[in-house]
Amino acid sequence: MVRPTLQTATDDSTGIDAAADRTQSDDAAGPPAVVVEDLTFAYPDGTRAVDELSLSIPRGECFGFLGANGAGKTTTIKLLATLLDPTSGTVQINGYDAAADRSAVRGTIGYMAQSVGVDRTLTARDNLAFACKAYGVPRDRRRERIDELLALVDLADVADTPAGQFSGGMQKRLDAATALVHDPALVFLDEPTTGLDPKARSRLWDYFERINDRGTTVFLTTQYLAEADALCDRLALLREGRLVESGTPAALKRRVGGAVLSITLEGGGEAVATAAGVARESGLLGPDATVDTTDESLRVRTERARAVGPELLVALRDAGVAVTGFDVAEPTLDDVFFALADESSDGLADDPEAEGPVSTDRQTGGAR
Amino acid sequence: MSTSPARDDTDTVDDRPTPASNSFVGDVLVNTERWACKAVQTPAQLVLEVALAIFSLLMFTAVFGDLGALALERGAFAGVDYVTFILPAALVQVAGSAAIGSGIGLIEDLDSGMFEKTLVSPMHPAAVFLGKAIAELARVVCYVLLIVGLGMAMGASVETGLLGIAGIVLVCLLFALWYMAISNVVALLSGDEGTLDAAANLLLFPLLFFSSAFLPLSALPQTVQDFATVNPVTYGADAVRALVLGRDVSTVVQFHHFGGALDTLVPAVAVLVALDGLFGGIAVWLLARASRSTMV
Repeated sequence: MVRPTLQTATDDSTGIDAAADRTQSDDAAGPPAVVVEDLTFAYPDGTRAVDELSLSIPRGECFGFLGANGAGKTTTIKLLATLLDPTSGTVQINGYDAAADRSAVRGTIGYMAQSVGVDRTLTARDNLAFACKAYGVPRDRRRERIDELLALVDLADVADTPAGQFSGGMQKRLDAATALVHDPALVFLDEPTTGLDPKARSRLWDYFERINDRGTTVFLTTQYLAEADALCDRLALLREGRLVESGTPAALKRRVGGAVLSITLEGGGEAVATAAGVARESGLLGPDATVDTTDESLRVRTERARAVGPELLVALRDAGVAVTGFDVAEPTLDDVFFALADESSDGLADDPEAEGPVSTDRQTGGAR
Repeated sequence: MSTSPARDDTDTVDDRPTPASNSFVGDVLVNTERWACKAVQTPAQLVLEVALAIFSLLMFTAVFGDLGALALERGAFAGVDYVTFILPAALVQVAGSAAIGSGIGLIEDLDSGMFEKTLVSPMHPAAVFLGKAIAELARVVCYVLLIVGLGMAMGASVETGLLGIAGIVLVCLLFALWYMAISNVVALLSGDEGTLDAAANLLLFPLLFFSSAFLPLSALPQTVQDFATVNPVTYGADAVRALVLGRDVSTVVQFHHFGGALDTLVPAVAVLVALDGLFGGIAVWLLARASRSTMV
């Protein structure tokens, strides 16, 4: 059987075309990119940063890992990338056991840490050259590979500038490029766009989308849910080191259920507070409903959003609240995130204080 | 990516991606090259280090010259030019001060994320550190040769010739190694360049002055002589001096077995090797520990 292995497909070319071919030929073949069973990481004091985590990621997938700060995302990535040894459980990366075959795992993954990892004394080109040599890219292919990556992350113009003079976004892009010199089958991206301006962020995401299209499995964590929604095939939500939910973005949104009524009001905070009270006491909303407020609007999520919308508007008018805008939408990932990842005791409880800033976050997070 | 051995083998299909990798030696060379490249990228640091080395030789000769000549007459060094006598002091100083900067690079790597970056690569961790150490030791060799050349231009004579110079380089490397190890230990324990800097100054200058480096011990007060006996710098300076003068110069160890320079060299080198083993072992242990616990 003459199936090109992943390696063969990339060996004859550094180009995108050849790599794209392998997506079709290799998607179904070979072991999953990640198989984790009962993975636990405990600190010496016994606190579990990762708690009996199990997951499997097929080749070629873009997998998004969501969770609040401290949920255990970075610890998990470090465990998968062989930077930490688990307390218990097993990790298989690209078919290699992370404990027994650490160097094989390291040779088939790319890793982009949450904080940038570039040598600030060296130029962008020298950083890439070092990475090429570190990953054994053959001498005759290095130059071409470096030029290709520089072009891919838009750093060709500043290739010979020391990385220390780069902006944060440029350093992140260089960091991403150095993680890819060996065309890894799997890349780990730990909050790759955190702290970047929206333009830099969108460029970097385009770039990750491109490498995923080329067949590279992408495992990322992010706090920008709208982006995770757009890019990821599958998402998992982590809370206190445990996987609370996983599935496609659409399935997760269905899991939260219902739709969201956004009602824009005239009269500021007072009107919003009155309206929230009216909505809660109207008897129209089911027990599953949540009511969030922002400075000038009300967000009501419920199974029966479409049915109760008109009646709710009437109730608001009767209470003397002036409505200036009205919209019904499917829940966003933010709704999922806040319902599941950030919940205290019962996540679907209505808590306008805690969930107030949700809409604001969503708007900035959604800007691409 | 490495050349896959199974690449043209279409009969047995291992459908796992082939791991990228190098040989161990390849990994060492890659890292040596990186650190050499970094040194060249920051030429100001190189120039300043060379300047310090040159100035110390000039300075010691100018400041201690007359006094030194007197002390040499009274001690066991009658007929030795002071510049010849002081050359070993300048050499151990330049070797020590170049080596003690080693930890700064490590702290920079820890701060910049490069430590983790090299760690997550398929490179052997030992090769990463070895490569860096080789680049730094190569720098020590350059400085040592430069100072030997300068000293000879100033009238110092190396009695043992080229073989002696090779020996001097080796002794200076052994001397540099324990400074390098301590520097990395301090870097890993403190993680702070300021602390490392302070430790470096403490380790370099007081030890130099409380040793046989500048003046024959017989010319120094008894307390200094006592301290000098347990001061590693004395052994480094004596070993180099024995090679410069081609005879037994040690006053702290009474060892008469081989006759001539070897009577100084053998015990001094033994002391340096023991120190290298001790501090090198601690440094390697700490590095290995740091490599396995990059905490969140």
